[in-house]
Amino acid sequence: MIQFEHVYKTYPGGHEALQDVNLHIEKGEFVFVLGHSGAGKSTFLKLILHEETATSGKIIVNGFDLSTIKKRRIPYLRRSMGVVFQDFRLIPNITVYENVAFAMRVTNVKESEIVKRVRYVLGLVGLLEKKNNYPTSLSGGEQQRVALARALAHSPKLIIADEPTGNIDPELSLEMMELLTAINSVGTTIVVVTHEHDLAHQFNKRIITIDHGTVVGDDRPCVYAKGGNRG
Amino acid sequence: MRWSSFKYLFGQGIHSMFANRMMTVASLGVLMVCMLITGFTGLLTANINSLMGWLGSQNEMVAMLDRSVPEEEYAGIGKQILEIEGVQEAQYISKSQALEQMSGDMGEYEELFNELKGEENPLYAQYNIRIADPSQTKAIMDKVGQVSGVERVHSPESLIRTFLNVQRWVQAISWGLVLVLGIVSSVVISNTIRLTVFARRKEINIMKFVGATNGFIRMPFFVEGMSVGLLAGLLASGIVLGGYGLVITKLGEYFVGWEQVVNAVVLPVELVWPWLLAGFSTFGLVLGGIGTMASMRKYLNV
Repeated sequence: MIQFEHVYKTYPGGHEALQDVNLHIEKGEFVFVLGHSGAGKSTFLKLILHEETATSGKIIVNGFDLSTIKKRRIPYLRRSMGVVFQDFRLIPNITVYENVAFAMRVTNVKESEIVKRVRYVLGLVGLLEKKNNYPTSLSGGEQQRVALARALAHSPKLIIADEPTGNIDPELSLEMMELLTAINSVGTTIVVVTHEHDLAHQFNKRIITIDHGTVVGDDRPCVYAKGGNRG
Repeated sequence: MRWSSFKYLFGQGIHSMFANRMMTVASLGVLMVCMLITGFTGLLTANINSLMGWLGSQNEMVAMLDRSVPEEEYAGIGKQILEIEGVQEAQYISKSQALEQMSGDMGEYEELFNELKGEENPLYAQYNIRIADPSQTKAIMDKVGQVSGVERVHSPESLIRTFLNVQRWVQAISWGLVLVLGIVSSVVISNTIRLTVFARRKEINIMKFVGATNGFIRMPFFVEGMSVGLLAGLLASGIVLGGYGLVITKLGEYFVGWEQVVNAVVLPVELVWPWLLAGFSTFGLVLGGIGTMASMRKYLNV
């Protein structure tokens, strides 16, 4: 699903953001990518989304080889995953329904399917009754759930959540993680990028730790938690 | 692309046009002014061209034949004139025909010419010459003058030369205006779209991350830019055609008795409107497209 082989990323100013990163995330896994601010998490995410390209090394995401991918194939790479951003990135002047439908429209889906699917995913995150609200009238937690519904809209095999609890209350953080766990239970791969050490360790999941641009830990559930189940 | 997606994107473009109505109105205004100037200059050029064509179609060049040449040689002179490059037609007018024509033109004073008939006729036998290209008047005049048996040649050469100069200047100015105003219009549309793109940059960014293709992202902006261009084209066509129709009416009122000439020279609205409408609409659409393309590049690089 996600494969990094000897990946290096050096920015034009000379800053070495990632150095010799090797990791493999399998289909159906639930993984935390943990690291403090400036550790290289954002670069890791940008490389997966092909917002940045690796200086060297090989990256494969959902079958797309990112070192050789053609520009016109990038939208298809991005359609194969759903991303939940820390700042939600919702469009404020359209309704909750339209925000979710929007993600499907760009992928050229039939209108009748959009209606069905949007209702379904909004129901899944518990926001169907707020489908006509504007994002600004929602709480942080609700906005985060809209962002998750949008990420789920086109049924991706992989969900990447960038600091999904960064802008919401602790109790809502737990709710969000439970939602992600539920989504993972039906086979969707979840990658949560976070700096919250406690949050990552609250769950019995795989934790990849990045520090100063290198992978310093890759703890599988069975290693640190009793009765842990992988994925 | 699905019809529903097309409808959605088209709607987004039109919606954005109304949402940014201040900029839309400003762009429309500038574009229309550009098109009005271009339109009126273009019509002036077209009418001067028409006038030149009309002048060329008149029997304006007259070759007077030498009186000492026997009449039986006149046909040979006519043949030599016709052989000159650029001469379309050479019509022989005898002395008596010339006198009849002149006395006919005099109306009530016709009788004064009765005494001049026969041997007393002071007029020349002549060839009325029609030429293909008025710009060749001087050269052809010189060649006709060199034909043996031609005493002198008359033509409103200086008038034609003046019109030719005016035509050249108006053409050069109108092409220059089309070019300059075309660039100005593109920049105006480009700035309007740039503002829209800037206002929607977050949305574009989100679209990119949910897998929208560049074509999908561009489409509403193209719809907006090209709609502004098309609307400006349609409005400008209406104003130019209305103004032109008014000018034609005024010309008719001013040149009473010259209706035939005015009708022959001035291009009628019925002939002009399809070209103007098609030209302005295409001009607007193309400028809208170019302006949009120029303003979008930066924000698509995500």
